[in-house]
Amino acid sequence: MPDQSAAVHTEGIWKIFKQEAEEVRAVRDVTLTFAPGEFTALAGPSGSGKTTLLNLIGGLTRPTRGRIWVAGQDVSQMSSQELAQFRLENVGFVFQAYNLLPVLTALENAEFPMLLRGVPANERARRVGELFERTGMTGLEDRRPGKLSGGQQQRVAVVRAVASNPALVLADEPTANLDTAASEALLDMMLEFNQELGVTFIFATHDEHVMERSRRVVRMVDGAIDSDETRS
Amino acid sequence: MEHSLVIVVLALRNLRRQFRRTLLTSLAMIIGGGLLMFSLTLGDGTHERWIESGVRMGSGHVTIERPEFRTSRRIEDRLPEMARRATEQALTSVGIAEQVKAVSPKLIITGLASSAAGARPAQIMGVEPRAEASFSTLDEQLVEGRYLDPADRLAAYVGIGLVESLDLRLGSRLVVTAQDAHREVAGQLLRVVGVFRTGVPKIDQALIHMPLKTAGKWLGSGRDVTNVGVIVEDSADVSRLVVGLRDALAEPIQSGTTTVTSWQEAMPELSAMVAIDDFGNYLVYGILFVIIGFGIVNTVLMSVMHRYREFGVLQALGLTPGQTGALVLVEGLVLTVVSSTIGIGLGILLTWYCFGDGLDFSALMDEEMTFSGVVIDPVIIPLFRMARIIQALAFILGVGVVASVYPAIRAMRIDVTKAMKFDR
Repeated sequence: MPDQSAAVHTEGIWKIFKQEAEEVRAVRDVTLTFAPGEFTALAGPSGSGKTTLLNLIGGLTRPTRGRIWVAGQDVSQMSSQELAQFRLENVGFVFQAYNLLPVLTALENAEFPMLLRGVPANERARRVGELFERTGMTGLEDRRPGKLSGGQQQRVAVVRAVASNPALVLADEPTANLDTAASEALLDMMLEFNQELGVTFIFATHDEHVMERSRRVVRMVDGAIDSDETRS
Repeated sequence: MEHSLVIVVLALRNLRRQFRRTLLTSLAMIIGGGLLMFSLTLGDGTHERWIESGVRMGSGHVTIERPEFRTSRRIEDRLPEMARRATEQALTSVGIAEQVKAVSPKLIITGLASSAAGARPAQIMGVEPRAEASFSTLDEQLVEGRYLDPADRLAAYVGIGLVESLDLRLGSRLVVTAQDAHREVAGQLLRVVGVFRTGVPKIDQALIHMPLKTAGKWLGSGRDVTNVGVIVEDSADVSRLVVGLRDALAEPIQSGTTTVTSWQEAMPELSAMVAIDDFGNYLVYGILFVIIGFGIVNTVLMSVMHRYREFGVLQALGLTPGQTGALVLVEGLVLTVVSSTIGIGLGILLTWYCFGDGLDFSALMDEEMTFSGVVIDPVIIPLFRMARIIQALAFILGVGVVASVYPAIRAMRIDVTKAMKFDR
């Protein structure tokens, strides 16, 4: 039985993709535990399986073998409907390409998951207002993503990810499309949310800056864990 | 409830975002809807004219008669007095009276018309002049003289074919002979007061109208009639009237002395003509909208494929596959509802404005056209019925929804992780 207090626990998970004649083992027999409040990087070169592992933890895909528990729930056996509900209630995502909805304003993008969860309008406004202020986005609420810079879009994406108080935030290469300054600012923001709000962050990254700022770095090679280092 | 609102807001904004694509698809449906309405109203108008022509020359939208009379056409099979009184009562009762436009009791007999010049087979119809004038259009097809008057006793209104073949003119005497109610051959002298031309040879060469009272005395049938014809405002009301009359006349119907017949049953050829024309039209509409439907499928599908990654993000954020499909369906539905309403509205307005007085095809017709005893009126007046408008709306909505189903299923079935990697 996994530790119920763990934010995430994976046990012997595999993800095998069938591509025409061959099998691709994107994740091989990974057993990991993430405690609440961690700020952890999954590091490794392209093809190492870090994004796939992130997708498995986030319930975007199911493991071929093994089990995954997130916030005490076994997500490896859930149906598509159940996974959608699970993601809505427990997981915030930050993507490399920001992935804001172009027809919604910055404010509407940020409150979107809360809207789906049925959070009342005044609570949504309060939450997003606070987070926008903390992230220097005040005054940009009514802008559509097309009118925001990359850094601003990513900040909106982070607000979207944390606003509904998820169990964890999964960030896939969040700084890949940003310049150094914007990357640093974004990392500062996420670290602040981690320390002050206690949000668990797991990154898939090959950005050394992100790894340096992470308290734990799990390195992956060819789908398997190569090393798991926690810094004091 | 909020989920639904979010989906509707997203759908509306997506339609606005892809404005050109939305507009083009809309235009196709607007034009299709407009054409459909134009065609339906003219089609219904045409059919109504055919039916009107046929029933006014025949036995009405609804006929009440003895069951045997339809085939025998014998005076013995006339409607008894009791059944006639019950019929008159039923036709003036609440619930039925408001549907009725005209009623004409008739005594119809097949006999012989003769003059000094010879004798010809004739269909002799005893009528109440005022009632018959509002029932049929025969009085308007006057060539010479006048129609029957309620004060007339021995007047005859004769078809031009019969007038010519018996060498008659206004004021001429003719004798009508037929088997009466006592199975005796009886004759009646009449005087020609008017001549008509319908354009239907079968009618012009045989039909004679005479006063009902005189016919009753001549044939020894008293106040009896062979049938009662009813005209309604709109042929769409016929089935309702038939049901009402069958209910009201349940007793005489049960006793076998009365039957209530719709025009479709009495004039199956005309009914078939309308049905075949309808079928042909529906076929054309079906083809038109299959083509439009494919266009909608293509547009909505392209819109889904264009937003593949976006749908992946929506599902990653927590939208279920069902909700993702619903989003696509709502887009299709909104597009269809708005476009079809505009198209049908415009179609009605333009049809009414341009052709409200009728579409005249007489230039295309050398002479009068008849079919199965019905004169085809060359002027078609569009007929606007609420039921048709709703039918057209529902049809186009159905096409729009069906056309959106496949794209919606594609959106539901996306692989979220693959969609996120999708490059536009």
